[in-house]
Amino acid sequence: MYRPKTLEDALEFLSKNAPDVKPLAGGTELLVLIRDKKITTPKYLLDLSPLKKQLSYVKIEDGKVRIGATTTLYEISRTFLHSDVRFAGFVDTWKKFGTLAIRFSATIGGNVVAGTQYSDYATLLLAYDATVKAVSSRGERSIPLEKFILDKRIIDLRPDELVKEVEFAIPPQGSSSSFVKFDRRELLIAGIITGAFFLALEEGKIRDVKIAFDMVKGKRAPARSHEVESFLLGKTFSEDLIEKAAEEVLPTYMERITDWWTTAEYRLDMSKVALKRGLLKCKARIEKGVI
Amino acid sequence: MSFKINLKVNGKEHVLEVPAHERLVDTLRYRLGLTSVKEGCGRGECGTCIVLVNGLPKHSCLTLTATLDGAEVLTLEGLAPEGKLHAIQLAYLETRGVQCGFCTPGFMMMTKALLDTHPEPQQEQVKEWLSSVLCRCGSYHYYFAAAKLAAKYIKEGKIYLDEKQVREKYHMKVIGR
Ligand SMILES: Cc1cc2nc3c(=O)[nH]c(=O)nc-3n(C[C@H](O)[C@H](O)[C@H](O)COP(=O)(O)OP(=O)(O)OC[C@H]3O[C@@H](n4cnc5c(N)ncnc54)[C@H](O)[C@@H]3O)c2cc1C
Ligand code: FES
Ligand code: FES
Repeated sequence: MYRPKTLEDALEFLSKNAPDVKPLAGGTELLVLIRDKKITTPKYLLDLSPLKKQLSYVKIEDGKVRIGATTTLYEISRTFLHSDVRFAGFVDTWKKFGTLAIRFSATIGGNVVAGTQYSDYATLLLAYDATVKAVSSRGERSIPLEKFILDKRIIDLRPDELVKEVEFAIPPQGSSSSFVKFDRRELLIAGIITGAFFLALEEGKIRDVKIAFDMVKGKRAPARSHEVESFLLGKTFSEDLIEKAAEEVLPTYMERITDWWTTAEYRLDMSKVALKRGLLKCKARIEKGVI
Repeated sequence: MSFKINLKVNGKEHVLEVPAHERLVDTLRYRLGLTSVKEGCGRGECGTCIVLVNGLPKHSCLTLTATLDGAEVLTLEGLAPEGKLHAIQLAYLETRGVQCGFCTPGFMMMTKALLDTHPEPQQEQVKEWLSSVLCRCGSYHYYFAAAKLAAKYIKEGKIYLDEKQVREKYHMKVIGR
């Protein structure tokens, strides 16, 4: 294990020792993977905790919301992301994530890099069209989250890169979001399906809408569903419209799988329910102005 | 590879030389003999291994000790000074929920963190915090009651109680039953 003094120090260690290094943030994903022998035990772990001062923050800068990679979910819950209705989906996701004790350790960077269909914050951030900022000793690069998560546990991050932050544009007034997770217990379970929804209304019309599910066609990782978005965009919001989007448009691109948890048919049906509930929740939140 | 770290555990400073892969649960149990810390699942699910690190709950099974240089750790052993019981311990005793007791240290540490941040917790908050730990004997409702009773005692200023007196008072009623 290497304990860096600064971000620069960490990047130097990475560039010298990649690909034999795995960054360690909260450890709630990585240490379980190592324990279960799902990945080969890395030669080095790079402890990110000394970088907390540098990389843990939630701030607004240049018209963007920026969240530092090592910010824990608990730290996020103490910020405006949990009080401003435009970010309501953060509260939903928080309530459904693991257990409270896990949320004290798990970080946003770790969630995005984990890149599985169970990465709840990654799904939510897709609905905000977030961008991932990666750094290495060669410099910085920005990758749209949609392109960053290529498939289950396959992400566009080079071995010598660290995720520094995720950022997204400040949503306009008259917008809100929601996150829906269906599972058999209240807590501590991977969702049977999850969906994240962002909606911006202007005089009753859908000015912007972004929809992400735990997975869509061909990808075993969170992804956007552009087809439903373009169907909805510019139309007047109504229950009939949402019904049509869920029953007619969604099934044409959504592909679900059967496993020992449940069947593809059930998953697809629940995806429709999630879409309806999620968008109606956004609308109610925009109207009430509270989460 | 091993690391030399400073760790304050239950108020006492330690300088430890630990291998990089050593988990906090093992350091606490096998190096320091703090066996209140239990390992159930070893993968973040059961919460029996929860201790407080710098005041916040942490799964000691998912924490590498070498990452904790300079940190403060609190386990159940450090909840009250020698010879005393903490209000939380008394409350758990009095509400009589404890069955096999394997989960109880994790619950008590979550209760401590809860009451430190919410001295007068609502039922919802008690549920949110304590549901981080699994109890296979099903003592949850008793533990919810215990958290509230502990909050009441602390509010009344009864934080540390004399262990001997408590033992005498409850000897026949609870311990010897
Ligand atoms: C009991 C339990 C319940 C869980 N429940 C949920 C849940 O409900 N929803 C959910 O989404 N997840 C859940 N998880 C999974 C996990 O908690 C999350 O994915 C978490 O966000 C991971 O963050 P971490 O900081 O612990 O990451 P780590 O485990 O430290 O790292 C995860 C991966 O990211 C890499 N990494 C971390 N930070 C960086 C960085 N800055 N730059 C580059 N690489 C980095 C690591 O090398 C590793 O590959 C659960 C886990 C457990 C153990
Ligand atoms: S032993 Fe750590 S959570 Fe189960
Ligand atoms: S009392 Fe037995 S596990 Fe809780």
